[in-house]
Amino acid sequence: MTQGTTWGVTRGVILASVATLVLGCEPGREEGAGPVTVTFSASEVGREAQLLRAQLARFMRDRPDVRVVIRSTPDAADQRHQLYVQWLNARVGEPDILQLDVIWTPEFAAAGWILPLAPAADDEADFFPATLAAHRWNGRLHALPWFVDVGMLYWRTDLLERAPETLDELARMAAAARGPTVPYGFVWQGARYEGLVTVFLEVLGAHGGRILDAEGAVAVARDPAVRALRFLRRAIHERGIVPTDVLGWQEEQTRFAFQNGQAVFMRNWPYAYPLMEAEGSRVAGRFAVAPMPAGPEGEPTAALGGAGLAVNARSRHPEAARAVIGYLTRPEQMLERAEVLGHYPPRASLYADSRLAVALPIPPAAAAEILERALPRPAIPVYSELSGILQLWLHRALTGQSEPADALARAAEDIRRLLERAELTPPTEDAAAGSE
Amino acid sequence: MRAGGSLQAGERRLAAGLLLPGLGAIVLVTAFPLAYTLWESLHLHDLRMPWLGRPLVGLANYAELAGDPRFGEALAHSAFFTTVTVTLEVVLGLVLALALDRTFRGRGLTRVAVLLPWAVPSVVAALVWRFMFEGDSSVVNALLGRSLPWFADARAAWVPLILADVWKTTPFVALLLLAGLQTIDPALHDAARIDGAGAWRRFREITLPLLVPALGVAMLFRALDAFRVFDVVYVLTGGGPGTATESVSLYAFDVLFRNLRFGYGAAISMTVFLGAFLIALAFILLLGPRLVQEAER
Repeated sequence: MTQGTTWGVTRGVILASVATLVLGCEPGREEGAGPVTVTFSASEVGREAQLLRAQLARFMRDRPDVRVVIRSTPDAADQRHQLYVQWLNARVGEPDILQLDVIWTPEFAAAGWILPLAPAADDEADFFPATLAAHRWNGRLHALPWFVDVGMLYWRTDLLERAPETLDELARMAAAARGPTVPYGFVWQGARYEGLVTVFLEVLGAHGGRILDAEGAVAVARDPAVRALRFLRRAIHERGIVPTDVLGWQEEQTRFAFQNGQAVFMRNWPYAYPLMEAEGSRVAGRFAVAPMPAGPEGEPTAALGGAGLAVNARSRHPEAARAVIGYLTRPEQMLERAEVLGHYPPRASLYADSRLAVALPIPPAAAAEILERALPRPAIPVYSELSGILQLWLHRALTGQSEPADALARAAEDIRRLLERAELTPPTEDAAAGSE
Repeated sequence: MRAGGSLQAGERRLAAGLLLPGLGAIVLVTAFPLAYTLWESLHLHDLRMPWLGRPLVGLANYAELAGDPRFGEALAHSAFFTTVTVTLEVVLGLVLALALDRTFRGRGLTRVAVLLPWAVPSVVAALVWRFMFEGDSSVVNALLGRSLPWFADARAAWVPLILADVWKTTPFVALLLLAGLQTIDPALHDAARIDGAGAWRRFREITLPLLVPALGVAMLFRALDAFRVFDVVYVLTGGGPGTATESVSLYAFDVLFRNLRFGYGAAISMTVFLGAFLIALAFILLLGPRLVQEAER
């Protein structure tokens, strides 16, 4: 290149093309003249896509040697996951940058589909620890948190004076405050899908339990779990504060019920807040958020959601891809995301920034308090299947087809069999062996 | 003689040549996918656990199926759904066909109206049925004057499911039976009437026996479809509550596309194929001679 002979350039181009044709990829080398192109898998609809395009345009102005192309991907999590798995299984080098749901990172990392990021960001310590833990596999960070989501308790300020501090108090307040105009005490996501597991995780934490314990052993059949499931079931079938309909509800149905003024409490993610403050909402100005309360022997627990950015292991330009990720996860970009989309930044320091207070509907201090208590779902490669098993047994117990203790014992058995099949028992052993 | 022989051989060659593309197409679109699924079902192939590789495991997937309670239940659900819906659809379809076979004013219009549910896409129909049953203020709950959580009860969830399928496919059965009715010579009925046979007697002795081939075809089509049911269940109940209404096809979908276990999913698919094959075989064995007799007459 520096010699600048035509032949040198031509030879480079020919070699690169041959390498591309023959090998299909050329890891680790940034070749030749002109900018390298990296592809970014993202949604191509709405304000999210607009903002991303604007941010990438700024990045390309800073780095004329890199061109970023958006590869449109479905927004529905299941569809996106399926598509990623197909691409990565086929060892395709594109998209170079993948947007991963928190629960996918260990799966993709264990499969060798994404590169470890370290040194990812020089200021890793700025991120909430739980968000980093969720994106770590084998002790190494594989995706950089882009935005976070966290479960919170919405409550009606016109019906109650303060938020409950314990689960029992929540149940009592819900029973007392509901009436003919507000028929539901408490609504949450009870359909047989991922949302049910996040609700359970929170109530489980409130009872001092976990899905997998610190050693990685299956803990869903233990006492706190049984009590947590009993609490959820009693709330529906005995106390009557939770409508049976929740057993078919996802996030939006619970939001509609709360937004129409039908419920005293709702468990949901932050996205519901601005929508329920908007014009046409019957509860605008009459609700607030609080951390999910603790139960006996537990502490307030919020399920952690959100997304991270990772580099495809077959990417031809991993360095350029890392640069894009580094740029998008800088504080300025995160602040802008919060302003335009209401997405919560995973950087703790931003919660002291006055600009975030303007951007977010929820007071940043309250949000940070909830985020510090955020609990990731088990960071193991077979999490999705583990969740599928839990969803089944939780739903069976909640619809009265089996008893809580029995359902959880069966779930634990199925999960243990899954971990055995995945050859991951116990999961921490793998990390200790350090297979890399 | 030699010339005749060579002509025959030539014709045979021509016949073979003409058959070959058709046979090729069958191999390509039927035999190959089937053989591939069978081959896949003999492997451990888990897209979510690529570190396990794709080893040949023989019948291990089938052994796992035998000990998988969810699979056994799904099979039972499919069998139950098939029995109930096909019975209802054939009975109602027959009533409908008999009514439509009579001459009355506006018959053409009525026939079209009756066929409408069949024209609605399954997913749309299932969604409409879900709205009718879901929630406190749903149409059905308002009519009953009670608030029943249809989709949260393992037994009640079958009601909208079966109703939706019967509503949608009864017209199809009626259409097939109507075609069968129209092949019956009216002279037979006239003769019987002169002999003093009542309506019920004529139905039992003339209509029903002569309708058997059409009934057989309708039941075969419906049983095959009902056994492999996916769309109505997927949209209406998602197989829930828990897995109380999960059909085999839905379970196969879950294993294949949610858990991405291709080997195990292929094994389930093979059993769905086998089930459908056995149903078809049973009908052909039961009705085959009858059909041949009809043709000879």
